[in-house]
Amino acid sequence: MFRSLFHLLVFPGFLFLVISGLTFEWLDRKFLARFQRRVGPPWYQPLADLIKLFSKEDLLPKNANDFLATLLPLISLSSVLTAGLYVPIAGYTPFSFEGDLIVIIFLMSVPTLAYYLAGIISLGIYSVLGGGRSLLQFFSYEVPLLIALSGPAILGRSWSVSTIMETQGRLGPFIIFQPLGFVLAVVGLIGKLKRDPFDIPKATSEVVGGSLTEFSGAKLGFWNLVMDIQAVVGIFLLIDLYFGWIKMSHPILAIAIFVIECLILILVLSGTSAIFARLRIDQLAGLGWRILVPLALLQIGFVILMGV
Amino acid sequence: MDKISIPIGPQHPLLKEPLSMMVDISGEKVLGGSLRLGYVHRGIERLAQQRTYVQNIHLIERICGICSHVHTTTYCYAVEALLGIEIPPRAQYIRALMCELERIHSHLLWLGILAKHIGLDTIFMHTWHDREMVLDIMEEVSGGRISHAANQIGGVRFDLDEEKGEMIRKILIKLHSQVEGLLDVIESEPAAIARTKGVAPISPDLIKAYGVVGPIARASGVDVDMRRDASLPPYDQLEVKVITHSDGDAWARTFVRVEETRVSLNLCETIIREMPRGDVVVHAPRRVPEGEVIIRSEAPRGELFYYLRSDGSDKPARLKVRTPTLAALSLLPVQLSEINVADIPVVLAGVDLCIACADR
Amino acid sequence: MDKIKKRFTLLNAVVEAMIKQPETIKYPFAAMELPEGFRGAIVFDPDKCSGCGLCVRDCPAEALHINKKSREEYTLLHYPARCAYCGQCEDSCRHGAISHSNKLVGATTHKDDWVLVFKDSKASQE
Ligand code: SF4
Ligand code: SF4
Repeated sequence: MFRSLFHLLVFPGFLFLVISGLTFEWLDRKFLARFQRRVGPPWYQPLADLIKLFSKEDLLPKNANDFLATLLPLISLSSVLTAGLYVPIAGYTPFSFEGDLIVIIFLMSVPTLAYYLAGIISLGIYSVLGGGRSLLQFFSYEVPLLIALSGPAILGRSWSVSTIMETQGRLGPFIIFQPLGFVLAVVGLIGKLKRDPFDIPKATSEVVGGSLTEFSGAKLGFWNLVMDIQAVVGIFLLIDLYFGWIKMSHPILAIAIFVIECLILILVLSGTSAIFARLRIDQLAGLGWRILVPLALLQIGFVILMGV
Repeated sequence: MDKISIPIGPQHPLLKEPLSMMVDISGEKVLGGSLRLGYVHRGIERLAQQRTYVQNIHLIERICGICSHVHTTTYCYAVEALLGIEIPPRAQYIRALMCELERIHSHLLWLGILAKHIGLDTIFMHTWHDREMVLDIMEEVSGGRISHAANQIGGVRFDLDEEKGEMIRKILIKLHSQVEGLLDVIESEPAAIARTKGVAPISPDLIKAYGVVGPIARASGVDVDMRRDASLPPYDQLEVKVITHSDGDAWARTFVRVEETRVSLNLCETIIREMPRGDVVVHAPRRVPEGEVIIRSEAPRGELFYYLRSDGSDKPARLKVRTPTLAALSLLPVQLSEINVADIPVVLAGVDLCIACADR
Repeated sequence: MDKIKKRFTLLNAVVEAMIKQPETIKYPFAAMELPEGFRGAIVFDPDKCSGCGLCVRDCPAEALHINKKSREEYTLLHYPARCAYCGQCEDSCRHGAISHSNKLVGATTHKDDWVLVFKDSKASQE
């Protein structure tokens, strides 16, 4: 009882995920700043932003549904937090079961749908536009992402992340067998996180703030937290699925390697957002269906052939 | 899907200056748009009639925050033409040098804004950093980053010594390599090309019908450049390479402006090298004889037109300024159709808005 | 080959920026250099001023004001918050009494209350 409460609230639950989410945001902003010859924010900036948002006045358009607007960020937050529970962190996973990969993928999609709904219910012109765009984008990146993520599952002959990691311990990291799949998964993750170059739903110069234009105060704070935690959970998942071979006898070493891998992946994510321009929504759909999906299928075909 | 109208401005993250647009969209398609101007109208033309010619230099400088020097230069040439005095060649060269530096920093600024609009924030930061070098030069030689106050009637305020010339040359060489890099990026970055190539092309006929000037006209293949055509001193002694492109789309506008930055960098070097020696100012009387004059010059955004009428007192009887942005703005509603919502920023950036110039 | 090299220009620039120090100046914690000729706060030399009022006539922002009773008896006032730091007064003064320093000027919420008395000839005589 006490143990599971600890798991839920501290590690790998709420507290750990919130802290790592804020750390991710800081690292991302810092890296981006350094790419752009800026200094970047101090380490407590994301936390300070969060506190500021929570202490600010909460406004919504007059006819918007306040109940739903409060509910949606909370649902998203709880779903990404739950997803975070099932993702092994440096090989440590208290709640593993067969099929948890599917649960994670499903829970990670909830925020996107909630984001769409948030745009529709908040009744701003820009938010409706941003919401529609987020749904269109969802259909473009989700399919290649799913196909790519099923690669490790097929090779590991399991839908459980920890089993996949065990298989990697025997066969070697899956990045060796599926480099293409990894790249596609990263692209899909960027799409999921609505980061540059796929920040179409919240492109400031086009739709102001996207779905969240009308949100403010604590609700916006929750949304920002959702985005951050979604990002870290995605990063942990990719590390586990493609680099999860380390079965270190020493836990410190395992944690160190895990952290380094995460840092490298964050660096890659920041770098991509630094050197690419934002695509148009029709271009993204074209990219997703004409390039990413065939490539993902190619990778899967390769994996199946290998497995036979 | 139904038609909805989205307001862009007067306050919008897209706009750096107030301008109001209503854009009709259906889904992601833009059907059309309308424009409202006048949010930064300050009545400068009327104000200028109440101030002396000397005071007006500083008033005119504040028409625009980016191309402030070319405004005062044109104004001073107009007053000097009425006075019938010719300023020393060295002063002419210094004025031209400042104009070219201004063109460089204006184009770099513009490129940064375009990059920001298409989500390429790194280029935005890098170009604005490079632009800062130009501003540093201008601050060093004239004493002000934006309001240079370099002109006075009858010449310029400051002289350049060898040391400063050397400093400018060093910075310009550094800038040269940066601009080459920018050119590489706009020629090769796939997402940036995809966002700008073929977007909102303007035909040369449309350019002529609306009287559009400057880089936009040159990007559509209309070969106008007041540095060459109006042959204001000292450009009549300098070789100005005019960059044109035939496509007329957003990418061509980008290309023309970046290439022009390179031309201006070269021009700056030539100006510093060939600068004649001598005085930088001649005495000018305060009262201006009766008469009227038209002076045209090339601002970073295109042809700048000044009409000045004097009634013999020390205040102008009428001052009319025609800035390049106004014509380009009138073309904006035409461009705002048959494009994507995501193209609106690109189209807007392509105009190189200077609302303060257009409204005055 | 050239194409490929061009493709990596931005990546190069980004990596270079990562390695180099950031360019931000942490003003006000770090000193900001202003060039010699920067047009900052106005300095005034009362001994040189003859009270001719040329600077007042040419000031575009009406930031200078002269109360003249006679040739010897006058006060010259300056409103720093109205001043545009344009350098015209320095240009117009034939005695070199007024000039710019390269010091930055502060700010105020009451534009018209911030007055510097440049010269009060009565006060200086007493
Ligand atoms: S600097 Fe310009 S605005 Fe200021 S007092 Fe002198 S003339 Fe007037
Ligand atoms: S400062 Fe110069 S211009 Fe002004 S009143 Fe004194 S002497 Fe005349």
